Amino acid sequence: MSMVTPRSVPRFFLWVGLIVWAFLSVFPFFWMAIGTTLNPNDVVKGILIPGNDFLSNVDKATKNYNLPLLFFNSLFIATMTVLFGVTVNALAAYGFEKFPSKVREGFFGVLLLTLIMPQIAIVLPLFREIAFFGLLDSSAAIILPFLMSAFVIFFLRQNFKMFPTEIIEAGRIDGAGEFSIFWKLAFPAMKASFASAAILMFISQWNSFLWPLMTILTDANKTLPIAMSSMMSAYTVEYGGLMVIICVSLLPVLVLFVTMQKQFVAGLMGSLK
Amino acid sequence: MSQKGNFAKYLNRMGWLFIAPALTLFTVFMLYPIVSSLYLVTRKWKGSTDSFIGLGNFVRMANDSVFWHALGTNFFLMVVQIPIMVVLAMVLAVVLDQGIRRFRGAFRLMIFLPCITSLVAYSVLFRILLQTNGLANNLMIGSGLISQPIAWLNDPFWANMTVIVAMTWRWTGYNMIFFLVGLQSIDREIYEAAEVDGAGKLYQFFRITLPLLVPVILFSVVTSTSGTLQLFDEPNVLTNGGGPANATMTAALYIYRQAFVINTDFGYATAMSYVVVVIAAIFAWVQIRLLGGERK
Repeated sequence: MSMVTPRSVPRFFLWVGLIVWAFLSVFPFFWMAIGTTLNPNDVVKGILIPGNDFLSNVDKATKNYNLPLLFFNSLFIATMTVLFGVTVNALAAYGFEKFPSKVREGFFGVLLLTLIMPQIAIVLPLFREIAFFGLLDSSAAIILPFLMSAFVIFFLRQNFKMFPTEIIEAGRIDGAGEFSIFWKLAFPAMKASFASAAILMFISQWNSFLWPLMTILTDANKTLPIAMSSMMSAYTVEYGGLMVIICVSLLPVLVLFVTMQKQFVAGLMGSLK
Repeated sequence: MSQKGNFAKYLNRMGWLFIAPALTLFTVFMLYPIVSSLYLVTRKWKGSTDSFIGLGNFVRMANDSVFWHALGTNFFLMVVQIPIMVVLAMVLAVVLDQGIRRFRGAFRLMIFLPCITSLVAYSVLFRILLQTNGLANNLMIGSGLISQPIAWLNDPFWANMTVIVAMTWRWTGYNMIFFLVGLQSIDREIYEAAEVDGAGKLYQFFRITLPLLVPVILFSVVTSTSGTLQLFDEPNVLTNGGGPANATMTAALYIYRQAFVINTDFGYATAMSYVVVVIAAIFAWVQIRLLGGERK
């Protein structure tokens, strides 16, 4: 009923459009990878043929900018946030969902209300508080305030709704304590949700910029985003070394994305930054 | 009977125990800062000493044209960038879902890839790409698109375009995923019926797909709006703290600079942050009305 030509012409444009956007999406990564092998001038000019400065760029990133330390700082902060944060938030989510009470529901409402608070409004008084505690310029300053996440509690609570209360009751009949029910029955059943929450917390802490920018004062405590942005505003920019650092900063997130795509997307979708 | 009462008490106690760590952190790092900001907002800082100023910070704010300009930049970016991105995300999703069959997974992966970059990392990348003697200009001059290099980072107009281009690159794939999820829930039989009735692809898009995607569009717009309201990382890194003539100065960036860079005035910065909170609250209210109503 329809002719071939009028259909295949728009189809051709669909393909072209799709290929162009896919190319634009991937191109900066490609350019960045090439950039790690070029000298600073060629990085800016955008030479797209690999050079042979890779090792000297790695050397600069390591020696001039102390990449291993930056990586360790970022990794330590993000990992600690995930370990303690997921635990604290999962316990709270379980507590809100499986021990219903009107008073706690009220607290949960207040918790949700703070979700609309823009970060810039929280960090000003928070900075004064952290300074008062004497925690400025420490990893504790970056970890502690972001362990509790109203969003992660909300996210995990939604998931705990699917965990049947009958199992908890059966556990009680068997004489298990509430915490061992949580740890031995609920946790293994909810691993995928926990993974999503962990990825979400890891990425938001790994990428965090505004708060560390305020609280980090010395080079020894810098994280990757802070270092990258301060390198960019320096008088002379060592572009080759910078490219190496950006590549390294993307690696952990890329690994999470490739190995746990489903939970990664679920976590990102939830994080309405 | 009393045993049952005891058990209820026990459960209640356990409930508090489970939420205690989170509640403590919440009180110390969220509730207390919010309450203490009520004190901050009434103070004026001169160097490291502060004194009571009452509502003076708000009076100063009313006359601070930079602040209102910064807020204007937030709204400008919302009005221009979000429609471009949402339309692009929707079209890409529809093409991937219904237009083509081959390499679908590979395309989805490639278009999603920008989402793995941190806001700082991609801002740094774009700042290098868009330098006056950088790759983007070289390619466009080489292909004859432009004859003079564009001052992406040093011209007030183009600095804003840079922010828009960069944000669109970073967030289109992210929003596309929402649309793909939305498209999957549309019943294929509707299209088959339309096909039988002789409806063309465009007609199908505007009469079937688009109306059914309205909830996703709203969701996408609403979440992007609240993200853009708080925009900080991109203008700070891309255009080095606000751009030429404060062209890309956003509210969050200006507040940060008043507290840490050009000044140390926490009282004034807090007063301005209250305005952002009020706008966020209005957006949240609209969000609940729009999305909450749409679900029924």
